[in-house]
Amino acid sequence: MFCEKGNALLRATGLSKSFNGVPAVASVDLDLDIGESVGVIGPNGAGKSTLLGLLVGSLKADEGRLIMEGRDLTRMAVHRRVSAGIARAAQIPQTFGRLTVAENLRLPAVFGAGLHGAEAERWVEEVLEMCGLAELAGTDAEHLGLLSRKRLELAKAVAARPKVLLLDEVGAGLTEPEIEQIMELVRKLRDGRAVMWVEHIPFALRGVCERLVVMDKGAKILDGPFEEVWADPDLQAIYMGVPDDEVA
Amino acid sequence: MDRHMNLILLAGGFAAALAGAFVFEPGMLFLLTEVMVVLILAQMWNLLAGFGGQVSLGQQAFFGLGGYLLFLGANSTQIPLWVWLGVTPLIVGLLAVPLGLVVFHLKNAYFAVGMWVVAEILAAVFMRFDFLGGSAGIVLRPGGASMTMNPERLVFFIAAFGFVAIIVALRLFLKSTTGLALLGMRDSPDAASACGVDVRRMHLMVFVIAAMGCAAGGSLYYITTLYISAADAFQMNWLIVMMFVSIIGGLGTLTGPIIGTLLFIMIREAMTSAGFSGGTYWIVMGALAVVVLLLAPRGLWPLIRDFHFRKTGRVTR
Ligand SMILES: Nc1ncnc2c1ncn2[C@@H]1O[C@H](COP(=O)(O)OP(=O)(O)OP(=O)(O)O)[C@@H](O)[C@H]1O
Ligand SMILES: [Mg+2]
Repeated sequence: MFCEKGNALLRATGLSKSFNGVPAVASVDLDLDIGESVGVIGPNGAGKSTLLGLLVGSLKADEGRLIMEGRDLTRMAVHRRVSAGIARAAQIPQTFGRLTVAENLRLPAVFGAGLHGAEAERWVEEVLEMCGLAELAGTDAEHLGLLSRKRLELAKAVAARPKVLLLDEVGAGLTEPEIEQIMELVRKLRDGRAVMWVEHIPFALRGVCERLVVMDKGAKILDGPFEEVWADPDLQAIYMGVPDDEVA
Repeated sequence: MDRHMNLILLAGGFAAALAGAFVFEPGMLFLLTEVMVVLILAQMWNLLAGFGGQVSLGQQAFFGLGGYLLFLGANSTQIPLWVWLGVTPLIVGLLAVPLGLVVFHLKNAYFAVGMWVVAEILAAVFMRFDFLGGSAGIVLRPGGASMTMNPERLVFFIAAFGFVAIIVALRLFLKSTTGLALLGMRDSPDAASACGVDVRRMHLMVFVIAAMGCAAGGSLYYITTLYISAADAFQMNWLIVMMFVSIIGGLGTLTGPIIGTLLFIMIREAMTSAGFSGGTYWIVMGALAVVVLLLAPRGLWPLIRDFHFRKTGRVTR
């Protein structure tokens, strides 16, 4: 047994991943708790998506451990981690083109959340409504535009009813009002779960997250209350040379 | 509505199979049984490759095994032939589980060729050992005695009704959530596992079902010929037929392989009766496949269906 400080819902220790000998994530420790929403920022290539991939299991960690509610998930396959309660909306939407939007959500509702029959159906309806996709329920996903596809990717993750919801740039490429809709949605989703949101849009994270993680060159360099981290000189240093309007 | 359709299919299939078994003479029944067998094989390859995304070049392995297990089992025991007909697919299905777990380590083209190698190895094994028939093959002698009855009426009935039952089962399966997972996997296996679907298990399930169906096809076919040899049972032609009719008709649809099979049999029979020798019809089939794939890469049925539904804009599978 190992000592745990507090009872973290999800605890990652020493997670590392290299591609062809180049480290993309280097020994990251991370705790996530229920009711928490954590923003993640960092320059392009900092390893944010790779970290989420390690948590959700689409990438295998070279080193480190992942414990959720006392269970070791380190070697667990993606589909079992979904049932255990981790789901991600990927940076590049992975939707089922030849299935309808509603069918796209039925899969995570049944195989992820473990719902059946009418219960699954009701939950799909609810997620459709919540994510603003109700009108598109019967449309094949391959006919969706970018905004709708991003919403569907988010909705798929939500439909799995995860305890840990990982969002990878779900707001990228959207207009400000659209991002505000997503912020509203994420706020609703916070209750009873941990949300970790990677985004290059600070105002979105600031409006939703009370905690901020900063990654650079594969390492987690800052982690703490949002405003504190935001004001940290190290953060400014990372973004030096990046035009102000991209940061703030 | 759909439930009714399935019941109508089953009842109609039963009646038609029964009527056909009584009405047609033996020569015709032999041909029609082969048609049913090809329909079953095509539907199985379609399930595996079209719906499951696993392109196998070795399904003749299961076809041959189905024939051989039936012959060996029926010849060497007193257990009735018809019991063996039911048991054989189950045995082959059980064998397919460990085989699948091994060959799934191969991906894509390697899997396809790996399955072909499996079929070739089986052919060599059955050819080599005399207790498996050796190069002479085996004559069907249930319980050690010559066949006393002509089996073609009963075999045709089983094959025809079996095919209809398979279609109904596939319709039900594709409507189920497990079927939906399979359809999702066609678009993206990664996205499916991200939704909690056990993709490997789904692959194995489809692999086993396809193996069982091909084995049943082999059993049915070789009862009508009363003789089996490794050179015939494990030959690549069985695979080519399944592939051709599925691809020409429309992979990943239930109707496509039926259209493909009818075309195949019609072309073959027309050319044979017009006096063309042996395998000339393969040239026509090959040319047809090339033309279809150039003009309608998704196959004939999706083309017809899209044409039919273009006005209403309805999307169907
Ligand atoms: N599958 C892969 N194969 C090889 N290298 C990869 C792979 N995925 C990521 N990398 C590399 O790992 C590093 C981290 O990439 P990652 O996608 O995690 O960054 P990120 O922080 O999400 O960046 P962005 O903000 O651009 O999305 C980069 O240098 C990237 O090129
Ligand atoms: Mg990224």
